[in-house]
Amino acid sequence: MTKSSNNTANIMTVNKKTITFAFLALVTVLVVVVVLLRPAPQNITLRFHPFVGDNPFLLNTQSYQNPGGDGEFTVRDFQLFISNIVLSSPTNQINEQESYHLLRFDGNSAFDQIVIPQIKLRSHNQLSFGIGVDPKANGSLMFSGDLDPNSRMAWNWQVGYKFLLLEGTLTVNKQQLPLVYHIGFDESYTELNFDIANKIMPENGVINFKIDLQRLFQKDNSHDVIPTQPQLPQDIEYIDMYKMSHVKFSPEDVKSIANGFNHFITIM
Amino acid sequence: MKVSTIVVTIAVIFIALAATIYSLQNRAPNTHPIEFTAPFVFGRFNVPVDNPLTQESVLLGRRLFYDPILSSNNQVSCATCHKQALAFTDGLKTSIGVSGIPLKFNAMSLANLMWGPRHFFWDGRVSSLEAQAIEPIKHVNEMARDLEQLIIDLNNDELYKKLFKKAYGEISEKSIAKALANFQRTLISANSRYDQYLRGEISLSPLENQGRKLFMAHPDTKVVLRGGNCIDCHSQFLTSGFGSKFDGFSNNGLDNDQTLQEGLFILTQNEAHRGLFKAPTLRNIAVTAPYMHDGRFTTLEEVLAHYNGGIKRSKTLSPLIIEADNIAKTQLDHISLNLNDNEITAIIAFLHTLTDDEFLTNSAFSNPFMADTSDD
Repeated sequence: MTKSSNNTANIMTVNKKTITFAFLALVTVLVVVVVLLRPAPQNITLRFHPFVGDNPFLLNTQSYQNPGGDGEFTVRDFQLFISNIVLSSPTNQINEQESYHLLRFDGNSAFDQIVIPQIKLRSHNQLSFGIGVDPKANGSLMFSGDLDPNSRMAWNWQVGYKFLLLEGTLTVNKQQLPLVYHIGFDESYTELNFDIANKIMPENGVINFKIDLQRLFQKDNSHDVIPTQPQLPQDIEYIDMYKMSHVKFSPEDVKSIANGFNHFITIM
Repeated sequence: MKVSTIVVTIAVIFIALAATIYSLQNRAPNTHPIEFTAPFVFGRFNVPVDNPLTQESVLLGRRLFYDPILSSNNQVSCATCHKQALAFTDGLKTSIGVSGIPLKFNAMSLANLMWGPRHFFWDGRVSSLEAQAIEPIKHVNEMARDLEQLIIDLNNDELYKKLFKKAYGEISEKSIAKALANFQRTLISANSRYDQYLRGEISLSPLENQGRKLFMAHPDTKVVLRGGNCIDCHSQFLTSGFGSKFDGFSNNGLDNDQTLQEGLFILTQNEAHRGLFKAPTLRNIAVTAPYMHDGRFTTLEEVLAHYNGGIKRSKTLSPLIIEADNIAKTQLDHISLNLNDNEITAIIAFLHTLTDDEFLTNSAFSNPFMADTSDD
């Protein structure tokens, strides 16, 4: 071997070592970057603020205009089930386990909330949940999440759960009428989807929702001519509580109120 | 040997001795968990972390429950007002303790207390069985016992000293309350005919089954569904009030605004809770007369008559009661379920299926002093 060929071999060896070192350094940097950029687990809070129209909702003490008729109503109890919460991104989906939550508004707080612990958020931009209890759970006696066959929200094992409970009093011309809305049945289970991109408060992971009891009583106009433009607030028609003061087992009446499930929860 | 070495050795021995004595004195008693069964449909239950359900605590609690040593005159025990044969009630309109003055309330049945409302007494004024257990002992009209003196007396009783040591290590107000609470937790009634029906072991008679269906239904005239409306306050399996928050409390129309009592208001100071009382378990209801928080109704027929036309209106009366009617509402002044006589008979027949003879005679719940005597 000549001196020149020896030099060439040495240069190649050095180059190989350099390339290997550079490659390893690059991999290390990439691993560190990936680890650093990996989202830290964070609690996600779905916070529900009850309203009647633009007025904050208060039990017992505050009266509100009958959405579709004369008189004013007060509420002594309002509870509803939120079920099967799913957070999703184009590449990822997180399904909460035992996802049956009873929202109720009889505490000292102006809102009720659901906390989903330790979610590794990357780019979840969709949230979905059901109002009510899905047919499988509704037809079972399982104790899961807030489902409890011995609770106030259970009718009996043949009928399943009340998905939404609203009880109160309507006063029309000094006449008091009891209001009882116990809305259930499998057909009423309603899945809602929300675009949550930029809706999660970065400092505490809270997504704020408005629950509008007025919109619960929005009439179903899906049988009408398909509107070409979104319905304006002043064009929305509402159910007259006086004419429909109690809804329990009549399928048509249940359907009328359950239609409102599609409208009465929005992201704030 | 140097003096310093001797001093250090003595100090080490002293510290070791002191540590051993302290450890022996403060060692948690070697207790054994109690085994029990309950229907899965009763659901979840909670036992306080600081009062595990042990054989030792239940043995002690049972003895305390039946011992008049808990009262100032040594004549009144918990069992005076809570007799097993009456599902741990006393058959009186309202109970009578050491003072001889009738109390404000009817004695509540003690069954399935690990489930249902987490607030105790008719007005829900305490939020644990432990707190509940100690109240009657101190109450001037019930047992009127000075707790410090009670602890001294229990310490003078060798058997109690032994039982307390095994269960809790010491005699104190807390351990007395814990023992009584744990004995009460074991009072599980789950073998009535209704339970046997739920387990598929028997069939109910046509009348009982009609009553069961009426019990479980809120009436809806729009779909011709007749109902007794019981389920709106009494859960389908436990038949007690509901467990969550104050869902287990209701104003069931016993009084008008002029005579409305405080009820749950005494705890919450919320006007919406004035006149709300705990919906009791209906387990063994046929043997727990008289009925309601003040024992105003002597028979189940009177209770049904109340819901069938005797309701009094007040500002906190449940809208569920006002609205529930088996005929379409024609006027709002008169509140009634409008059940017919046959339906009332059917509901009462169903209520009788909730009687659990095994519970009423279970020797594990009986007076241990009687057992001691019979053993002799």
